[in-house]
Amino acid sequence: MNHRHLLPNEIDLLVDGEAGFGVAPLRAHIVECDECRARLDDARIVVDALEALPHFAPDSRLADRVMAQVPVFVPAHVAARDSVFRWLPKAGPARAAAAIVGTSIAGLLSIAMVWLASRGDAVVFATGLFIGRLQTLVLGAARDVVVAVLGESAVSALQAAGTLGVTLLVLGFLGTALGTVFALRRLATASSRRA
Amino acid sequence: MPHALDLANLPDADVVALALEGREVAHRELIRRYERPVFSLIFRMVRDRELAEDLTQDSFIKVLSHLDRYRSEFKFSSWLFKIANNVAIDHLRRRQLDTVSMDGSPHATTPDAVMASAIELSDASETALEEMEAKELGSAIERAIAGLRPEYRSCILLRHVEGRSYEEIATTLDLPLGTVKTYIHRARHELRRALEHTRE
Repeated sequence: MNHRHLLPNEIDLLVDGEAGFGVAPLRAHIVECDECRARLDDARIVVDALEALPHFAPDSRLADRVMAQVPVFVPAHVAARDSVFRWLPKAGPARAAAAIVGTSIAGLLSIAMVWLASRGDAVVFATGLFIGRLQTLVLGAARDVVVAVLGESAVSALQAAGTLGVTLLVLGFLGTALGTVFALRRLATASSRRA
Repeated sequence: MPHALDLANLPDADVVALALEGREVAHRELIRRYERPVFSLIFRMVRDRELAEDLTQDSFIKVLSHLDRYRSEFKFSSWLFKIANNVAIDHLRRRQLDTVSMDGSPHATTPDAVMASAIELSDASETALEEMEAKELGSAIERAIAGLRPEYRSCILLRHVEGRSYEEIATTLDLPLGTVKTYIHRARHELRRALEHTRE
């Protein structure tokens, strides 16, 4: 039997349940030495009492009080991502279906763009034709309105004035309209102040 | 958007990442996980429930307001306990509280000084709060813990109440590993003596 009693730090090793290389001789000594075994038991009583100590609960409003003083900042990239996700369905299958439909539509549009780009001349011709047709329709309608309101002589005068004359006429009309709106607004404001 | 129930199973580092994305529910989850251990540590350090509530609140505010400083290679709980312990120790130092003993201050040298520094628990004029504190901290082991130096108290509570390893305690308290072992050894020794004294 080893007559040296265990040192305090060796008792601590056993209390902590260490399982290293040098622990086996310590355990063997404990089996044989009543005094060291009593010291170990005393140490374990303290540890057992400590490990049985409960956690205390703070006031239930602690979280609210803390969060009232903690600034919570949402980074820009997270806000953008959340905005996108808000438009997507929440359920998994619905989200998958939306992805499939969206991808399909995007694919079809891409194919259409490529097709149109490969037929550039035809697109330009068709666009010019469309714009010409639209211009004819708009000018025809405008002429009909002027003839109905001001007569055939007004139409002749406008045709004689040319583009510059028509532009001045349009600008004059817009300026008068805006001025009237502005004046009416000032009048309304002045009336409300007097009231 | 994460729900509170979803967060309960996430590791601390993931919850912290969500909190850094501005999810308040993640902040609250961190508080929910650690409010009891942090409060218990601080309460046993300062032995005043109302004060412990305030210091616990301060600890969480400090941690959650500076989450961007958390480094994921360390445990979040270690960082939190470090701040909580520092808050408690700073308070004790400011108030220059001596170790509190049911049987009087260990620095008292005369019978009169011992009586003057002893704490009476069963006082008829105790408030409800004091009565609750007495009930919570009145057991022999709690009174023995109160008799320890703050540094020993922190170490022994982190070791045996929070179940931290010596290495974690050393990291948490910024102490050398050898110092932690010494403090815990001395704390156990003093607690053993205190408990023997109460049994006599």
